[in-house]
Amino acid sequence: MHPTGISPSNTVRRTAHRRRGIGLAPVLIAGGVLAALMATRVRRRPAVPAQRVRAGAAILGGSVLADSAMEHLRGGLYNPAMYAAPALGAVSVISALRQGSASHASRGPVASIVGGLAGLGFHSYDILRRVGGVSFNNLFYAAPIGAPGALVISGALNLFADQIENAPGNSRPTARVLAGVTGASLLAETVEVGLLHFRGSFQNPAMFLPVTIPPIAGALLLAKAARPDMSSRPVREFLKATALLGFVGTGFHIYGVSRHMGGWRNWRQTAFDGPPVPAPISFTGLALAGSAAVDLIEKEETR
Amino acid sequence: MKGPSSTPYPGYDVLDKWDTPSFNDQTRDVLRRRLTDVPDRRFFTAAEWPVLEALCDAVMPQEKGADAVPLPNWIDAALHEGHGSGTRHADMPAAPDAWRQGLAALNAEAQLRGASDFAALGNAGRDAVLHDVDAEKGRAPQWQTLPQRRFFRNLVLSEIVAIYYSHPTGQSEIGFGGPASPRGYVRLQANLADSWEAPPGDWGGETPR
Repeated sequence: MHPTGISPSNTVRRTAHRRRGIGLAPVLIAGGVLAALMATRVRRRPAVPAQRVRAGAAILGGSVLADSAMEHLRGGLYNPAMYAAPALGAVSVISALRQGSASHASRGPVASIVGGLAGLGFHSYDILRRVGGVSFNNLFYAAPIGAPGALVISGALNLFADQIENAPGNSRPTARVLAGVTGASLLAETVEVGLLHFRGSFQNPAMFLPVTIPPIAGALLLAKAARPDMSSRPVREFLKATALLGFVGTGFHIYGVSRHMGGWRNWRQTAFDGPPVPAPISFTGLALAGSAAVDLIEKEETR
Repeated sequence: MKGPSSTPYPGYDVLDKWDTPSFNDQTRDVLRRRLTDVPDRRFFTAAEWPVLEALCDAVMPQEKGADAVPLPNWIDAALHEGHGSGTRHADMPAAPDAWRQGLAALNAEAQLRGASDFAALGNAGRDAVLHDVDAEKGRAPQWQTLPQRRFFRNLVLSEIVAIYYSHPTGQSEIGFGGPASPRGYVRLQANLADSWEAPPGDWGGETPR
């Protein structure tokens, strides 16, 4: 009997649902466990710059893991390559947590970089193959053009950390390149955020924050990379603000999902249709790497 | 017309969503009223009622039972409460008048064929009358001020279809998800489906057109 008191048709459910993938719950649980592991690392506030770069790589990898797992499951995993994104995100996290313990440790990061570059290709192809090609509609609703870039950066940060640890005496050239890469990444992520927040018509004024603070931090990092003798105070302040913004943004995105009809109780729709919860924390990852780069440049400077 | 058609979604029941995040209290309340608060006859006369029932049976044959959609009751309620699109064709009377005149015309058509009224005709007789009306070949005088095809298509068919498929029975039959309130759909591309949608259906090897 139904709660309505009206008896439904008494035929037995015979036709089965199509099932795809391995189900969202296991992936999310795995992601949560990894994120928790990651958090315990981050909470130690690594003073050594190389460790902070690894923390940045871990955060970026975790963000990719959770975000791509959700979005690719939503897309039905119609292309087997779509399994690669969360897998490589996990590889990035694991590489970062293992702290360069072995000489062959560069395999994981390189896989992340190669996979991320391939992902950029796949996502560009997905946009181009749709009717209209490069149009706002496809940039908004096809595969996000810049997202796999986070995987590339995550792998690169792991390699940078290795490099810094292996050559502790002379890390300045590496630090300058790291500052440049991190600064450029902040600008690139700003473009992606700007595109998607524009799609969301900046309906909450807070949506302007991630398109104002991180690009300034990114530009200052690039300047610091070009001119190591410039004052590091502004770039440090903006990197702190960017790191904080990762958490603030996550909070706003959690709130944004709750505002959709049905709220979190209806998470199987709202967590997908609403703002992506795992995305904003990537700013924190980039800011950690950026601040490590500034520290390393300064360390050489004062010596 | 054949009897109740078989569904490609055997066993699918939109009401299985009742206790899931797909529906909230407002949605459940609306559905509960639609299922249980069936209005009594208020607009049509006791004499018109069997004609209306016969018309509904001819257009949308249903198995008798708890799942049957009470089409005449909801048509009556809409006319009594004045619910409608608020529009009509210039050559058509307002809906309440058109319905009464149309039912009278159907009775007159039946009498031209030797039956006492439309409800007294068998299935084949009812179908023949309705085919004639749809082809504007009815001969009853009531049609002179009521365009036959418009009565049949714009009032009778559209009203019956609207009521039938706003009822969970009709929705389950066609694999429709019912009210998407609060939960809508996430996987909107071709060949993708959310797990709370109807199953793809059993088409017996036929590709649905």
